[in-house]
Amino acid sequence: MTVFHFFNCAILTFGPHAVYYSATPLSEYDTLGTSVKAAVVYLATALVKLICLATFLKVSESDSFDPYQEFLKALIGFIDVAGLYFALTQLTHRNISQNHKFQAVGLGWAFADSVLHRLAPLWVGARGLEFTWDYILQGLEANANLVLSISLAALGSLMWLRKNKPKTLIPIIYLCAVIVATMPSTTSYLRRGLGWHLPKVVGFELFTSLVMAFISWQLFAACQRPSLMLAAIH
Amino acid sequence: MAMTPRKTRNREMLFDSVIALVFILVACVDLCDGATVVDVYRLIQYDMSGVPFGSRLASLNHHAASLHFSPHADLSRTVLLIPLRELNMSFVQEYIAASKPLGGLILLLPQMFSVENKGGVGSNHDDGSKELLKNVLDEVEQILIHTNLPYPVYFAFEDENIDTVLLDIKKNDATGQPATATTGGYKFVVSATEPKKVGSPPITNIQGWLAGLKTDGDSHQLPTIAIVASYDTFGAAPALSVGSDSNGSGIVALLEVARLFSLLYSNPKTRGQYNLLFGLTSGGPYNYNGTRKWLQSFDQRLRESIDYAICLDSIGSWENELWIHVSKPPENAFIKQIMEDFSSVAEELGFQVNLKHKKINISNPRVAWEHEQFSRLRVTAATLSELSTPPELLERTGGLVDGRQFVNEAAIVRSVKLIAESLAKHIYGHQGKNVQIFADNSNLAVNPSYVRSWLDVLSRTPRVAPFLSKDDPFVTALKKELEDHTDEVNLQREVLDGMFTFYDSTTAKLNIYQVASVTFDLLLLLVLGSYLIVLFSFLVITTRGLDDLISLFRRPPSRKVKTA
Repeated sequence: MTVFHFFNCAILTFGPHAVYYSATPLSEYDTLGTSVKAAVVYLATALVKLICLATFLKVSESDSFDPYQEFLKALIGFIDVAGLYFALTQLTHRNISQNHKFQAVGLGWAFADSVLHRLAPLWVGARGLEFTWDYILQGLEANANLVLSISLAALGSLMWLRKNKPKTLIPIIYLCAVIVATMPSTTSYLRRGLGWHLPKVVGFELFTSLVMAFISWQLFAACQRPSLMLAAIH
Repeated sequence: MAMTPRKTRNREMLFDSVIALVFILVACVDLCDGATVVDVYRLIQYDMSGVPFGSRLASLNHHAASLHFSPHADLSRTVLLIPLRELNMSFVQEYIAASKPLGGLILLLPQMFSVENKGGVGSNHDDGSKELLKNVLDEVEQILIHTNLPYPVYFAFEDENIDTVLLDIKKNDATGQPATATTGGYKFVVSATEPKKVGSPPITNIQGWLAGLKTDGDSHQLPTIAIVASYDTFGAAPALSVGSDSNGSGIVALLEVARLFSLLYSNPKTRGQYNLLFGLTSGGPYNYNGTRKWLQSFDQRLRESIDYAICLDSIGSWENELWIHVSKPPENAFIKQIMEDFSSVAEELGFQVNLKHKKINISNPRVAWEHEQFSRLRVTAATLSELSTPPELLERTGGLVDGRQFVNEAAIVRSVKLIAESLAKHIYGHQGKNVQIFADNSNLAVNPSYVRSWLDVLSRTPRVAPFLSKDDPFVTALKKELEDHTDEVNLQREVLDGMFTFYDSTTAKLNIYQVASVTFDLLLLLVLGSYLIVLFSFLVITTRGLDDLISLFRRPPSRKVKTA
């Protein structure tokens, strides 16, 4: 029964990644290699972040929200963005369209994040006799994270890979990218500073991830239109 | 894109090894701790002449229920969690005495019976309910000791954690559904090994010898007076049997009398012409088995030189009268002498000492008082006790109800005065004269703080003989204390006679888990399955179009043709 619960939480946490891969055209174009490379880049980024956190942050005894520490954490969080930039631009991909590239990178990124942060607690905790809602909430958080990672990858590809963007949309793109990149700091502020409980925080994450995904989708579609128009004109 | 056969085989092997690894990992790692962990103490398990008594099992792994279970529920796989306050004798008779099948039983005792609780003077309106609880616990304890229970029985103390768990369980029970694997609830787990027999239960008798003043010749020719008390206990929960009154009071009195007489005897001018023999015996609850072995080890000359022996048994909670129990007829010269000494001192101190005579039946193995072991070997002896009638076998042997707060140290102080003055009267020949040797405010006064500190120590030390090892620190402490007050101390190590067999495993930790039912897990699986299917369909529709989704279900063979 308890392994049953572990199995349930595992398919909630890792299932959507597999479903995403098989449902979208990613599986037809066999972009697994890209996702794996993105996962490796995420691992390297995580290591660098760990070293920076260990060097620059001091351990606080209380669980309160310290603005200075959180600011440092947010700065270190931008290393994430740098890693994503590297994965999007520097890795040699086979000829896959930009559309699929960012999806593959985002998927690999989110999968590595889930495995690194959620597999170990799940393995140790969900198999005990004691029942808590924590692991189900963690799974929902993993889903929100997947959506956020794909949106961030989309915005990233818009920023760095697409050369001709409509001038008006550029600031919006950067703004959205900043919002998505600072999501971790926002959630930790909500959890510690405002004292929200886990279900509320997870609900907030799900909601914002859907909103940001929608916005990024619209931006992506909007940026695609000018090139189509240009192609149509020529 | 057909793969070569070798590549397929490699991939299959890799897949198999991964599966094997997963299975190994699943099997190796053990479960994590539960939300609540509580110390529990097991009911004693023993055989008397081959007949089993007590709780025969130690490990527990069942769902929990409270007293509000539905009347026709099958309790053979349920643990009942019952606070003492809600226990009524009809339930005890129906379920426990009749040995109905139960998965397990956990009795919650109020904090006042806890070993750490020193008690003290409670408010008046508490006393009535305290008395009531004490009587209920006493009755339950006697029933539990004399019944064969084929399931684990544990005692625990009320605290916040387990109280909240109990409230929850009661709420669940009130809805009418018993807690089983399909409906969730609480699971109680005690992981304990199978209880093993205690091989040769040791009894250690400690004796201290205080030599009298020899005039000419050696001291063995001087007459001897013996003061004896048994120090071990027996109760429903061996880890909680501290026996403050039976017989902690006797031990403390003996030590204090030894201290006073060692002061007197340290100066040759005040040393009496009697030897004093102090005996701390073990095996008391088992027909004073240890006392018999101790006496049998005596030299014939020593045994003949004993004028009389005073045995101390439960002198800690009396008000106005004490009893001296004898087995030789009251007309006997020595008995008359003892009674005269004791009653005259008692009169001076303001209370009463009564004589009670009980004949011994040699063929009956039951030994009701410790002095009977002396009498069987033709030594004059008497027992000083607050009890007027002898307790039955394994009754009043320092069980759960015998805690620190039910003992009055002033009573012990008065008893010590009585014993010391009476002995001094006999030793120094002051019969008839009104002399007080151990007067208050003299340097020979009875020391109440000595009494109190030893009583506190004894009330925190469970002393069931089979579980006291040969080198137990408590026995060593008693030996050291006697060494301070006497000239020579000897330990006699024996083994308890074969009538009783004991089993170990007296304490354990109870893990309380809050479990979800199987139906919950199935429901969750259903929800997650449908979520993933919906997600799949959504993604296929938005990225590839609705036609593709339908084509997935309609024409699988043609897809294979396409890829080939």
